[in-house]
Amino acid sequence: MPVLHRRSLLAAASALVLTRAVQAEPAKGEPVLLGVSGPLTGPNAQYGAQWKQGFDLALDEINGSGGIKGRPLAYIFEDTQSDPRQSVAVAQKFVADPKIVAELGDFASPASMAASPIYQRGKLVQFGFTNSHPDFTKGGDYMWSNSVSQADEQPLSAAYAVKRLGLKKIAVLHLNTDWGRTSKDLFDKAAKEMGAEVVATEGYLPDEKDFRSTLVRVRGAKPDGLMLISYYSDAALIARQVRQAGIKLPIVAASSVYSPKFIELGGDAVEGVFTASRYFPDDPRPQVRDFVGKFKAKYSKEPDAFNAYAYDTMTLMAAVMREYGADRKAIHDGLAKIKDVPSVIFGKTTFDTKTRRVDGAMNVELVVKDGKFQLNESHAAVR
Amino acid sequence: MLAVRGLTRRFGGLTAVDAVDLDVAEKEFVSIIGPNGAGKTTLFNLVTGLDDPDAGTVHLAGRDVTGLPAEKLAALGVARTFQHGRVFANLSVLDNILVGAHVRFKSVRPTWRGPLALLDPIAELALALIRPGKVKAEEAQMREEALAILARFGERLLPRKDNPAYSLSYANRRRVEIGRALALGPRLLMLDEPTAGMNQTETAEMQALIGGLKKTGLTILLIEHKLDMVMQLSDRVVVMDEGHVIANGKPADVRNDPKVIEAYLGHHRAERAPIEEAAE
Amino acid sequence: MSSWIDYTVNGIIIGNIYALLAVGLALIFGVSRLINFAHGSVYVVGAYAGFLAVTHLGTPLPVTIALVVVVGALLGLVIERFGLRPLQGYAHIAPLLATIGISFVLDQLVQLFFTPDPRALPSSLLETRFQIGSGTIGALDLVIAAIGLASAGLLYTFLRYTRLGWAVRATAQDRDAAQQMGVDVDAVNRTVFAIASGLGAVSGLLVGMYYNYIDPAMSFQATLKGVVAQVVGGVGNVPGAIAGSLLLGLVESYGIALFGTSYRNLFAFVLLVAVLVWRPNGLFASKRQTPPEPMTGTFIAPSRPIQIPGKVLLAAAAVAALVPLVLPHPYVLQTLTNSWLYALLGLSLTLIAGTVGLVSLGHAALLAIGGYSSALLALNFGVPVGIAILSAGLIAALLGTVLVFPSFRLRGHYLSIATLAIGEIVSLVILNWEWLTRGPIGVSGIPSLSLFGIELDTDRSVYWFTLVLVIVLAALQLRLLGSHLGRVLRAVRDDDVAARSYGIRLDRYKALAFAFGSFAAGVSGGVTSHIYSYINHETFNAQLSILALTIVILGGMGNVTGAIVGSVLLVGLPEVFRVAAEYRVLIYGLVLLLLVRFRPQGLLGTV
Ligand SMILES: Nc1ncnc2c1ncn2[C@@H]1O[C@H](COP(=O)(O)OP(=O)(O)OP(=O)(O)O)[C@@H](O)[C@H]1O
Ligand SMILES: [Mg+2]
Repeated sequence: MPVLHRRSLLAAASALVLTRAVQAEPAKGEPVLLGVSGPLTGPNAQYGAQWKQGFDLALDEINGSGGIKGRPLAYIFEDTQSDPRQSVAVAQKFVADPKIVAELGDFASPASMAASPIYQRGKLVQFGFTNSHPDFTKGGDYMWSNSVSQADEQPLSAAYAVKRLGLKKIAVLHLNTDWGRTSKDLFDKAAKEMGAEVVATEGYLPDEKDFRSTLVRVRGAKPDGLMLISYYSDAALIARQVRQAGIKLPIVAASSVYSPKFIELGGDAVEGVFTASRYFPDDPRPQVRDFVGKFKAKYSKEPDAFNAYAYDTMTLMAAVMREYGADRKAIHDGLAKIKDVPSVIFGKTTFDTKTRRVDGAMNVELVVKDGKFQLNESHAAVR
Repeated sequence: MLAVRGLTRRFGGLTAVDAVDLDVAEKEFVSIIGPNGAGKTTLFNLVTGLDDPDAGTVHLAGRDVTGLPAEKLAALGVARTFQHGRVFANLSVLDNILVGAHVRFKSVRPTWRGPLALLDPIAELALALIRPGKVKAEEAQMREEALAILARFGERLLPRKDNPAYSLSYANRRRVEIGRALALGPRLLMLDEPTAGMNQTETAEMQALIGGLKKTGLTILLIEHKLDMVMQLSDRVVVMDEGHVIANGKPADVRNDPKVIEAYLGHHRAERAPIEEAAE
Repeated sequence: MSSWIDYTVNGIIIGNIYALLAVGLALIFGVSRLINFAHGSVYVVGAYAGFLAVTHLGTPLPVTIALVVVVGALLGLVIERFGLRPLQGYAHIAPLLATIGISFVLDQLVQLFFTPDPRALPSSLLETRFQIGSGTIGALDLVIAAIGLASAGLLYTFLRYTRLGWAVRATAQDRDAAQQMGVDVDAVNRTVFAIASGLGAVSGLLVGMYYNYIDPAMSFQATLKGVVAQVVGGVGNVPGAIAGSLLLGLVESYGIALFGTSYRNLFAFVLLVAVLVWRPNGLFASKRQTPPEPMTGTFIAPSRPIQIPGKVLLAAAAVAALVPLVLPHPYVLQTLTNSWLYALLGLSLTLIAGTVGLVSLGHAALLAIGGYSSALLALNFGVPVGIAILSAGLIAALLGTVLVFPSFRLRGHYLSIATLAIGEIVSLVILNWEWLTRGPIGVSGIPSLSLFGIELDTDRSVYWFTLVLVIVLAALQLRLLGSHLGRVLRAVRDDDVAARSYGIRLDRYKALAFAFGSFAAGVSGGVTSHIYSYINHETFNAQLSILALTIVILGGMGNVTGAIVGSVLLVGLPEVFRVAAEYRVLIYGLVLLLLVRFRPQGLLGTV
């Protein structure tokens, strides 16, 4: 059983890393380079900044424990403003640069997917770790993603809303982007299968700030709960306006709101909002404790979902390279072979080689209580 | 040629042109004079379709042209110059003249009727890009004529034919405007203060030029403050004040009309034409 | 029924917020005839100044407001003094572009100082809320309304009863005459910028508190909504701006009520276009009043274009064709391919904005129309890619012209705003017309470029293909400009009244130029979609329209060679500045400002 063998070796190795990280020889020499294509300026700049934090934290660990076979791991972050015109140019740059062994990003689907043909032709892995667009990995066998598939996530959200919280008539507010729209369709389907009804659907644009009239419409549909398929900033805006409008219905929000910013921006209004997360600070899983602890130590704040994606991705890439080698082909082949890499998001990452995505994201059901995300212990599953 | 009846235009409370009647016969030279704000330019705008009258009619060669848009009137042979000068600043002198000839370009501007009319501009575009022999010949012919028009201004414009109009002196811009009007091949030429802002020599030169145009048998309607020029050139003089026509007749008769004298003296403005340009 | 009361109240509340923005914009337009695209950035600066005061100094609301007003006013003075005063006497496009450059710089500075993360901006006000209908309004709503009304009142008093106010009004009515009568126009400008920017900054603060949310990227939306509101009310008209804002808020709210949230902005922009077309002076202007807008042609800086001999152009084309052989680096080729694609867009806009004077701020819509046409034809109907791209050009020409046709009667800034709105409308229709465009999911799996069955699957072949397109379309455009049409179109631009008087039907020639130009843009969008393989409604966004205009102005309005040079520079420069990472946009903004200041006629000059 070679696989088993290797797995136990890896487990042993990572245990070693965890305990001996401090003493390990820092990596030296010519760095192994990853290309990152993402927004550092422009309207999505905040997400690029969060990526960097996650990457840097992971790199501290990786390079502090021998890097990639003794060489340090590093990345080149090219700002694309998440604009397809720039992401294709960056793609050419990365593909042509023999030092780059794999690419991470871009952020939004138009930018990522416009660059896919170039990565595919150049046989350089494009690892779209925030690209949940269902067609992203269909771009070719060099497109991989560990972004949680909405086909996985939304049934979990629906289960939380319908089975656990007992909602029967749900009003869905969703970001009208490729992500929001895909998620909404999947949520609707799952909720209906579980016997609930979606009584109102409102799609809003990413820069929308005023939801008062939307909420009048929503209230008119007489729902017994709201589902927000939103990012943390718009979800906070909506929650505030929901409470200001005197609507006291329960609010469930997609796991993308899991961020300290959600509570900072939403204030009292997000008290009682139900959401889920891939991880939870008090999680007993060692990789989560490790990640959260180090993140707080380095940045003195709680990590959010995008930090975690970036951290997980860098860790995963390091694991693949340590195991299969740090060149383009090895990474492409290695992604298909690697098994059970410890992950904050999935517990253990293993790719489905057909979809080139990862199944089975972790799911913790949370509620905002006393200005903090806490495990939801008060709602017994409704049957 | 031109018959205006009861033409009226109000701006808010002000009636700029008040029930004006005006006739210009074929080959006649008629001047309109009157103090500032009398409504002369407004009358021009109404006749040339740049403004719509509140009442009254305009007939051109027997055809009712009231309310027709300016571009139609140009096609019917009415050419005008503007009091404040409206050359195409970034076009060369020659191109300015050629734009004046726009309505005479026939080969390159098909005018189909009926549903095909929508395809008209496409045909025009195609002809402009392909440039068959006929189109080229027409362009060459028009250029010839434009150069001939420039030649009428002696050495004033010809050496500058490729300069952009904004680089010209004020007087030269006025000349370009007149050249442009001539290029239209007008049946009726309407000049709004062609010598405004010109010094004496330039005025004399312009007067000679307009006199020459008159001799060719052109029908001309002139607005002018310089009375000497008006008296010498005109077959007939129409005097306007506060929107009304207050006198109409031979130059000598009008000059001695007490109503006219009163209008001018009453406004204390007689014979101070060139300067007020600056105040605009 | 009661929900209609709620919709109305909500409309008024949001209109109230727009009003704070629109009043400042109206003041500035009234006096300087300038749409201040930096207004949204002042709003952002105000919000962040308030954030600093509240979180670090713990100032109470009145003090915060006072502080923010001072910061905003000072910023206004700086913008006026260093950004706009040097541009007096330049063509109108120069200050307009300068405000765009200033807004890039300000937004980027805020982002550098405060990080791009959104922040909470708590208000110290009581959270008491009053029940109205089935909704509630809070203390902050009342404060915003009160400040809106108070500033309108103060403004009115200032304009009516003070000497400086009189000077402002005189300047607004006739700048030259005011100057001759001894009004210190510079002082008036300063005052107006200070007041308007102070107001803009306060609105940033209040809106930030209202939503408990600020981020550096919120400036564009703010400017957009403020501009819409003030145009609906009649540009430069302060009470009109307030009424327009309320109306805009109501229309958006009722739009949501009738069709749903994703139609909100569609309603706003349709309202704007409708008002522009039917009542170009705004809803509250008196009838038949001449619009407060200079004649056409004022967008053009007079200049003598630099004549480039045909031989040099041919040589340049030859050099461009040789690049893939000499310098076969894919990144360079891709960047240049992008440049060629933008050169097509530049050719399009330089004809439409430069040659015929229709300064379009919504040109990306043509790319979108072309992109979707070509992608959907190829995907849904199996049309060969080459033919799909050609059809995309034709569809963009037809559809673009039909959409803009009603706006041809507008002049100057009005047309620009109408095209801005039409651009947004196109994008929103694409978003909402799901069965055709697949809505926000976008179109993926678009076949890659091929011609007569031959795949263009190397960087070189794509490079050459796009280069040939540019050369062919540029040659056609040069031929057009050399014909009688070149003359006629430029005459329309320089003086539309004189052009009409010489028999030129404006609509016909504007449409002709627009269609010809749109073809190139449609082709560019079509090719782009096949290169990207995936497009959605955000692929061709409003930023592209601004980029297109910058390309055209950099090259020289109407200048065919200039459009190509401009796009190589503007697509290339950000790549060159890549080393500067986060400072890239800042540098870009500064370059834009310097360009406007020192070469307003563009590098190669206006044609
Ligand atoms: N568009 C307009 N709106 C309002 N009033 C106007 C307009 N055009 C002209 N007027 C007014 O109509 C009156 C007549 O003006 P007009 O320009 O016809 O006079 P004029 O006889 O040509 O004077 P001048 O000798 O100064 O050229 C003036 O009082 C003028 O102010
Ligand atoms: Mg006059």
